[in-house]
Amino acid sequence: MASNTETQNGEQGRHQEVGHKSLLQSDALYQYILDTSVYPREPEAMKELREITAKHPWNLMTTSADEGQFLNMLLKLINAKNTMEIGVYTGYSLLATALALPDDGKILAMDINRENYELGLPVIQKAGLAHKIDFREGPALPVLDQMIEDGKYHGTFDFVFVDADKDNYLNYHKRLLELVKVGGVIGYDNTLWNGSVVAPPDAPLRKYVRYYRDFVLELNKALAADPRVEICQLPVGDGITLCRRIK
Amino acid sequence: MAVLGGLENFDKNLLKSDALHQYILETSVYPREHEQLKALRETSEKHIMGIMSLPPEEGQLLNMLIKVLSAKKTLEIGVFTGYSLLATALALPRDGKITAIDIDKSYYEIGLPFIQKAGVENKIKFIESEAMPVLDKMLQEVNDDVLYDFAFVDADKNNYAKYHERLIKLVKVGGIIAYDNTLWFGSVAEVDPSFPKEALEMREFLLKHNKFLASDTRIEISQISIGDGLTICHRVL
Repeated sequence: MASNTETQNGEQGRHQEVGHKSLLQSDALYQYILDTSVYPREPEAMKELREITAKHPWNLMTTSADEGQFLNMLLKLINAKNTMEIGVYTGYSLLATALALPDDGKILAMDINRENYELGLPVIQKAGLAHKIDFREGPALPVLDQMIEDGKYHGTFDFVFVDADKDNYLNYHKRLLELVKVGGVIGYDNTLWNGSVVAPPDAPLRKYVRYYRDFVLELNKALAADPRVEICQLPVGDGITLCRRIK
Repeated sequence: MAVLGGLENFDKNLLKSDALHQYILETSVYPREHEQLKALRETSEKHIMGIMSLPPEEGQLLNMLIKVLSAKKTLEIGVFTGYSLLATALALPRDGKITAIDIDKSYYEIGLPFIQKAGVENKIKFIESEAMPVLDKMLQEVNDDVLYDFAFVDADKNNYAKYHERLIKLVKVGGIIAYDNTLWFGSVAEVDPSFPKEALEMREFLLKHNKFLASDTRIEISQISIGDGLTICHRVL
């Protein structure tokens, strides 16, 4: 996702409020959606976690507020009870998820960095939701492989949210398709990669954006061609592709 | 809808570039689009009011929503040539039913052959009428057994608020009411100087409606910047 180091102080302040550049035709339009439909409805805990995260140097990684709202609704629509999250950062989408699940709902949450998770954890605890979360520090692939080998986790997840290392999305996908139930949904974040999916070859892109872009392009092609899922690529946040397992 | 004067020249794309919009269509939408939906879309595009037709990426979202809801009984206000209607019909199970209302059947008849070819005509009950009297009649007959799982509103913006008061009683708790065009070519945030006057009038209704939905505690909302803006309302009370 593009950083905003080139902007001046005033604009940078506004960017922080917006979170990061949106995919929309103007910042004003994105701000309208946030001010009209998102912030008035944002639960107190999510607001608090968002504000803590805004002060963090890597805050561009966070799930945006409109995306959190959408995820929360989606989870309720599918009556999710058992979910997984790969990539937690400070826990905004994790909190959105925990708020949506019933009291006996469970989230398996994985991230290589526990420190960031612990920044948001007090908010989650204060909201009385920590009991729903099983946090594992470390890379996700070994955990997934273990669950598949174990044999009793096939088709047990209602929903999985993947917001992590783009060069592993397809590796995750292969395993998640076994672990998510038929009719369940996997959501892949950042699939429009700040719009760089259509940047011309000579566009000035930051190194990491250019590097991961190839993986994102490959992912999008693969998901569109995967007969085991129905997809929907939404321009929410940085682009979420929802995949509903059909076989 | 008589509101078009000039709007047909406006781009409905809310994203930061046409290239990005095109990318989504070519990568994720068109390869998955049912052939009858494609044919219906191509026919509608030739129509002078083709801009009224549901963008195909939104049809894909409707499909996803209907499937995750396991919806069976749906309502559609505003049909035009039937893209959203066909997308809905394809998503519903074999015994799914849609009540579709539009003041003008002649547009529906443009799309009907594609709906028939897709084999889903039997799921559709089309009513040629203003929607309000139909909804009011439904309200008289309503009971918990006949509530709808899903309602899609893509019609006269000046009546969205009035439709809402009826739909909130006709759609079940846990169901969805979805309003289309709630970002109105982006004009809700900034008005282009060449924006037609009639469209400005509709803008007022949409600004008010968006504010109202955000404050309505009977629903939870998510305003998605897809197409011309779709606000998904999940009835919770």
